[in-house]
Amino acid sequence: MQRSSWLGLAFLSPALVVVLLFFLIPVVLTGFFAFTNMSTATGVKGGAYVLNTSGLRALADAGLPKSTLEQIEGAGYRVDAKGLEALAADFGQPVADEFASLHDGEVFSKRRDVERALKDLRSNPIRKTRDRKIAADLFKRSLLNERFDTLPGFEAALEEAGIPDADRPLITQVAYTGWVWTTENFGFLMSLDSTWQYAKNTIIYVVFTLSFNVLFGLFLAIATFYLPSGQAATFRAIWFLPRILPPVLYIVMWRWFTWDTGFISTVLSGFGVSPRNWMLDTELHAWTTIVLINGFVGASMGMIVFSSAIRAIPSSMLYASEVDGASRLQQIWHIILPQLRWPILFITSYQTMSLLTSFEYIYLATDGGPGGATEVWALAAFHTALNNYGGNLQYGLGATYALLLVIIGLAASLAYLRLFNFRNLIQKPRIEG
Amino acid sequence: MTTLVSKLRQSTAAAVLALTAATVAGDAFAKDLTITVWAGGSNDSDAYRWEAIEMAADIMEREAAIRGEELNITVESKGQFGNWQEFKQAVTLAAEAGTAPNIVVTSHLDIAPWSEAGYIVPVEEYLDLDAWPLNDIYPNLMEIAAFDDVQWGLPQDAESRPFFFWKDAMKKIGYSDEDIAALPAKVEAGEYTLQNVLEDAKKAVEMEAVEEGYGFYPRVSNGPDYAQFYQSFGGELIDPESGKLVLDKKAMEEFYQFFADAVEAGVTRKNHLGTDWGQWYNEVANGKAAIWHGGTWHFGRYAQEGNQDFWNTIEFSLIPAGNENGRANTITHPLVYLITDNADDEAEEIAANLVKIASEPRINTLHAIKSNHLGISKQQSNIELYANDRWADEATERLLGYANSQPNHVNYGAYSEALFKGLEAAWTGTKTPAEAVAEVEVQMKATLGDELIVR
Repeated sequence: MQRSSWLGLAFLSPALVVVLLFFLIPVVLTGFFAFTNMSTATGVKGGAYVLNTSGLRALADAGLPKSTLEQIEGAGYRVDAKGLEALAADFGQPVADEFASLHDGEVFSKRRDVERALKDLRSNPIRKTRDRKIAADLFKRSLLNERFDTLPGFEAALEEAGIPDADRPLITQVAYTGWVWTTENFGFLMSLDSTWQYAKNTIIYVVFTLSFNVLFGLFLAIATFYLPSGQAATFRAIWFLPRILPPVLYIVMWRWFTWDTGFISTVLSGFGVSPRNWMLDTELHAWTTIVLINGFVGASMGMIVFSSAIRAIPSSMLYASEVDGASRLQQIWHIILPQLRWPILFITSYQTMSLLTSFEYIYLATDGGPGGATEVWALAAFHTALNNYGGNLQYGLGATYALLLVIIGLAASLAYLRLFNFRNLIQKPRIEG
Repeated sequence: MTTLVSKLRQSTAAAVLALTAATVAGDAFAKDLTITVWAGGSNDSDAYRWEAIEMAADIMEREAAIRGEELNITVESKGQFGNWQEFKQAVTLAAEAGTAPNIVVTSHLDIAPWSEAGYIVPVEEYLDLDAWPLNDIYPNLMEIAAFDDVQWGLPQDAESRPFFFWKDAMKKIGYSDEDIAALPAKVEAGEYTLQNVLEDAKKAVEMEAVEEGYGFYPRVSNGPDYAQFYQSFGGELIDPESGKLVLDKKAMEEFYQFFADAVEAGVTRKNHLGTDWGQWYNEVANGKAAIWHGGTWHFGRYAQEGNQDFWNTIEFSLIPAGNENGRANTITHPLVYLITDNADDEAEEIAANLVKIASEPRINTLHAIKSNHLGISKQQSNIELYANDRWADEATERLLGYANSQPNHVNYGAYSEALFKGLEAAWTGTKTPAEAVAEVEVQMKATLGDELIVR
């Protein structure tokens, strides 16, 4: 490679790093998470092996023989020769002797009871709580609540407890706390009514917001085109404001505007309309607000792109049409719109993609309410994977939502390319030809 | 050869000696340790959740000094998180990254999933539960901080969630002072039910004691409170025998129906869920609502909102029974101190001991009274600050004895989400109560599988 190529690559590298970190890796990870049952309880990094009482219950339900269950539960804490020997080694023979004389052969169900027994010894060098617990654990003869970090360690413990070979796979499966690969997420999502509701909500959201964006953007672009340039610039600047306003502030203002005690209610109460929350009162209110909130932001982008495209139309064509006696409407219909086909395609497909995945304004405004009426697909993914009250985050399920969205997005882009006949569009413009 | 062996022996002996000397001398070295505490769901008045740890650190340092050790504990605390969601996100992500705080103050419901994930270690590994002050903590609270017979955490505070009546509004609909004073007992006996609530709320709106939508003014977001209404209609959250979660379809439907009826009657706003908390507190503290429900800590919050005269303006009781199948009840949702899994075992031990010292009655009382929570141990009633506080005293008496908690179960989070989603759908009218329950059933069966019993 030439030195200049390396230089180019070096210049590009910050962008590459950003794309890798914030785009490629998350997408790859989403694809990967979607095929797991990962959640808060399983952790992300892998698991350990532990049998607790819930696990035992699950094993009993799965039909594990009672004898095996008893083996796992074991004797709890038994004062036997092995334990006493270890006690003598760690804490001295006198302690072990006294403990043996008082409790030899005894079985305690809880460690707390062993600790109490140890505390009652007369010759007692075990003063620290922590040491007493270590001493008590020397008598543990049960697999319950023992956490094994590795599979071999767990298997060795099963071996030692004499668990029958046939039962071990099931026990290991139940004991494992980490995540496992699964393809069930997809079927599960499809089986939920709410998933279809989210899909419906997303369609409503995208179709209405997109129509608003494109039509209103187009209207603004054409309207300002016919205005004197000073006024046009002012209008465009005003319509550009929602886009440069910080989203949180923009939504706070919408909330003030629509609250029960907000602007609309206050003004309307003068006309005898009882106050209500104009954002959340009904589904229709919520959707109207959401479309307007997103629409005003999106329309400004359409306006800018369409405006510059209109300016690129050679003015001679417009003059010629005026000489021929065309009205404004005819000009728009026969000259301007046909030449805006490419920018309209661009805005439509670009906005579809970004609307499909965007939920920030909905999250801040209605958070999916009322009653889940504005919960769109992307917001559901976010709620499932990262943000719910219970705090048991279901990363795997959330990622499945997100992955499906990626697939829908790709399908939509392909459909657009076909619909708008992309190949013709990238041909050399005939105007300049 | 022999010289080599003897040399080896000598050097081994020397090494062992040096090591022993170092270990022994190590005790005399200064030990510097930073303990981080994160507390969720806290505001300024809850500062003792971490300040208690600072006090405990001070005591522990003094104790070490008397033993001739130098121990320096720096407590770093963080109590400002946007909301519960953000707090839990922060803790779980930090735990995954290996940078979890040493001590977290959180809901007891997190014990099940976090212990499963290995984020936390049981306090019983480090503490003698038979010793002071742990042996004085109410056993039911200790049980709430345990899961699968293991003591994972220690209760940090207690509370419960009462029903509130605005006295003026009740008087306007015909209640005398005596009637109002008798309400708590009638609620407890099951004579005043949620159906009466509906009737009174309707009267309050019709007789213009409050505006439409303010007759019954519930909590604005998901929370333990809604499980109370399910219990009011006889619903059970967990089956004590099998330890499985329970969906009682009849109770669930009646509970949803109650809220749908409240909306239908115009006493509760259809778009109520999602109302701003600030607005909500201000309204209920100042008599804009006739009947509502909240938590014991609201006592202090109402004062902040400008109502300095709680006792003359508000009456409180258990959550009334819904019908003859249910009972008047209240849920206590104690926060717990949990110790996170840390590479440094000594840090875990010190953190556990700090939490233990912070649970001393006198220290815990500072938090209880300052934040209007209830105490965790019996001896607190012998501490004047606690005993002389009318709210702590009466709330403990009237509510805590009837309080139960939500179950510590790995999947309770999913259960509670589904329960609330169904409620939201029935409340806002997007589904009928029966349809909502059907959807909840599908959702719960799918997410909980064998861990669910449907009745």
